[in-house]
Amino acid sequence: MEHSSQNLHQTFHSIGSSTDWIVMVVYFLVIMLFGSYFGRYNRSTKDFFFGGRRFAWWLIAFSIVATGVGSHSFVKYSAKGFEHGFSSTMTYINDWFFLPLFLFGWLPIIVYTKIRSIPEYFEKRFSPSARFLATILLLLYMIGYIGIGFLTLGKAVLPLLPESFSLFGSEFQITLMGAVIVIAIITGIYITFGGQTAVIFTDLLQGFILLFAGFFLFFLGISYLGGFDVFWNLLPTEWKMPLAKFNEPSSFNFVGIFWQDGVAGSIGFLFMNMGLIMRFMATKSVDEGRKAATFNILFMLPLSAIVVGNAGWIGKAISVTNPEIVPPNTSPDQIFVVVANIVAIPGVFGFIMAALTAALMSTVDTLINATAAIYINDVYRPTKKYLQAKIVTKKITDKKELAAARYSSIAITALGVLSVLAFKNFPTVYEAHGYFHSTLTPPLVVAIFLGLFWRRFTPAAVITTFVSGVALMILGLHDPNVITPFNHGIEMDPDHPYSYIRALYNMVVCIIPAVVVTLTTAKQEQISDALKSNANGKVTVYTLVAVSILIFVIVLFDLTPLSLQLFGIVILMFTTAIVSTYLIDYDQQLNTEGLTVWTVAKAKEFFKGSKVNDEEGLKVKVDFKVKEGEEETVNFSKQDMETMKANVGDLVYLCDARKYLGGLKSVHSVLGEPHDEPGLVYISNEDLLNGVFEEGRKLIGEKEM
Amino acid sequence: MPSFFDSWLPFLYLYGVGGIFFLVGMLIIRKSGAINLKSKRHKYWYKVLILGFFYFVAIHAFFIILALYW
Repeated sequence: MEHSSQNLHQTFHSIGSSTDWIVMVVYFLVIMLFGSYFGRYNRSTKDFFFGGRRFAWWLIAFSIVATGVGSHSFVKYSAKGFEHGFSSTMTYINDWFFLPLFLFGWLPIIVYTKIRSIPEYFEKRFSPSARFLATILLLLYMIGYIGIGFLTLGKAVLPLLPESFSLFGSEFQITLMGAVIVIAIITGIYITFGGQTAVIFTDLLQGFILLFAGFFLFFLGISYLGGFDVFWNLLPTEWKMPLAKFNEPSSFNFVGIFWQDGVAGSIGFLFMNMGLIMRFMATKSVDEGRKAATFNILFMLPLSAIVVGNAGWIGKAISVTNPEIVPPNTSPDQIFVVVANIVAIPGVFGFIMAALTAALMSTVDTLINATAAIYINDVYRPTKKYLQAKIVTKKITDKKELAAARYSSIAITALGVLSVLAFKNFPTVYEAHGYFHSTLTPPLVVAIFLGLFWRRFTPAAVITTFVSGVALMILGLHDPNVITPFNHGIEMDPDHPYSYIRALYNMVVCIIPAVVVTLTTAKQEQISDALKSNANGKVTVYTLVAVSILIFVIVLFDLTPLSLQLFGIVILMFTTAIVSTYLIDYDQQLNTEGLTVWTVAKAKEFFKGSKVNDEEGLKVKVDFKVKEGEEETVNFSKQDMETMKANVGDLVYLCDARKYLGGLKSVHSVLGEPHDEPGLVYISNEDLLNGVFEEGRKLIGEKEM
Repeated sequence: MPSFFDSWLPFLYLYGVGGIFFLVGMLIIRKSGAINLKSKRHKYWYKVLILGFFYFVAIHAFFIILALYW
């Protein structure tokens, strides 16, 4: 093991042996083969992105572990664990507050309205221009998230590599960016050819492996120290606290992190993270999605907190007893690798590192897949529609879109690598992630929340939130002193001012225009009507657009004193609201039906296309036969229909009776006319192919609604 | 021993402010009819949501007491 001192922190290189490298390569090959195998379940973009809405809750719940653990990474929580103790993972146990709104608001709405991306919701609920702005913000968020993932991966792998290597007589330095680029190429492979089903199944496998590897490392660490009592007594009291100190230090404090992660992060994670949302949408029903989300937050996240943070805690304990083995000034982002290498024998260390990096790759893969879905749905399709591309059959369109999805995955991977440049100068990944979340989530979080729960929230209000809310956020970036009234006593670090509590300021400045513009809708309509009846109305509106752009540019490039910019933003709020009201046709009744928490029942009706049958029935176990003809319904016997309490036209879910498959071989269909052969279902050839059913296997039928 | 400011205040802030968000969420889903307490399944979920909140309160309280007094 080589080590060198850079600045105040000691960094390590060439950790691990050749055995570890062999184990890592084998692990990756197995995972990639495993993922590629499930690529055959993609028959359309629907399958590629959403896995065909077919899986059981437990399969999704475990597959989320790798995504959640990966994104909240071993590296960053171990780093904070090494610096501050158990509170490093407090963000794993603060996601419950918004669960009611997610389970009974957002989840049923996104499933029942059949939206394929969050921006699509903005078009349905508000207008195409709101969708356009939401797409820009969401793509920035997702690509930034991918960048954080790559940065973490790079930091995890760097200690394993030498400082430099020779090739054809020339010496090459191994840099963080170099490592990130190589990782990105490997990461892109199975997502490009696998799709969502591949990601779900590799994540499922990795979820189990990660939990095992994390607890195994904890066990090895405790044994290394001489038992749990020794470990517990070595740590000072403040290191054992589950929550950080209230408002100090500026790099890690409770109140800042509560607003950054507990509020903005939790809402972002549940409501905005397309990767996670697509996972819930891959469950066979809304109720299964609820089970997966609840199980994940109640049990998997607290367990994951121990899994991801323990290397830092063990590292701290070793640094107290043997500072020559783990120097107290070890680079925090390297502590996971350093501790794993100390407590594990060669081979086992390779396995732990493989599990860590593979989990991180899972997160990045999920995000790339989700970002590609946004690209196809919110950029590719609208552009094609705008260009009025020639009408082709659904099959050809789908084939083209699948190809576009794969190419866009590659482009998104490249953009993710580029975005690493924006984060690599933060002292730790934790702070980079905190700053990123505080800055990019608030406008979308406020817009989604108010759109979902406040029927009066208008397109003018959401667009003003995106424009003047963001302008006020930029003001906070240029002059952090405007955040001071919100700081709860946190000192400002001039290098990275208010990394966490910035989230509170950003949310407040997004809520203000949203509320003000919504409450003054009548006034805006009066002004808009006056403009419409005026011969020079159009000219006035275009002038207002020009004024808005000018003000935004002034704020963006910090061209005038703060007070003038503030005044400009007030004008911007007014002009944006008037222009939006003038240009957008909006019918509150029409645009909120099935799209707010107040109208979820309507959304369910839209989904089915007729009145919902909520009568509770039982499942039936049946044989299947493929029927002749084009009709795409399934036909059960009268007796089985009665058992399921189902009627003709109801939606039904059919899956292979083997429970351990978790719904992999399953399909949704519509009930056709019944027959008189109990225990038998007739299915169409299309359902046979989509469900990947096997001859001679029993199926379970279940009425959905 | 950490002061009240660094031990119980974060706990009270977490479940005070977080509790307000939770309560508002529960009220909205009830008032809007998104959760229908006449349905058996929804009643079950309503209980899970309330119990879940106190489950996390208990976890944090337990670990704070453990850190301070064990």
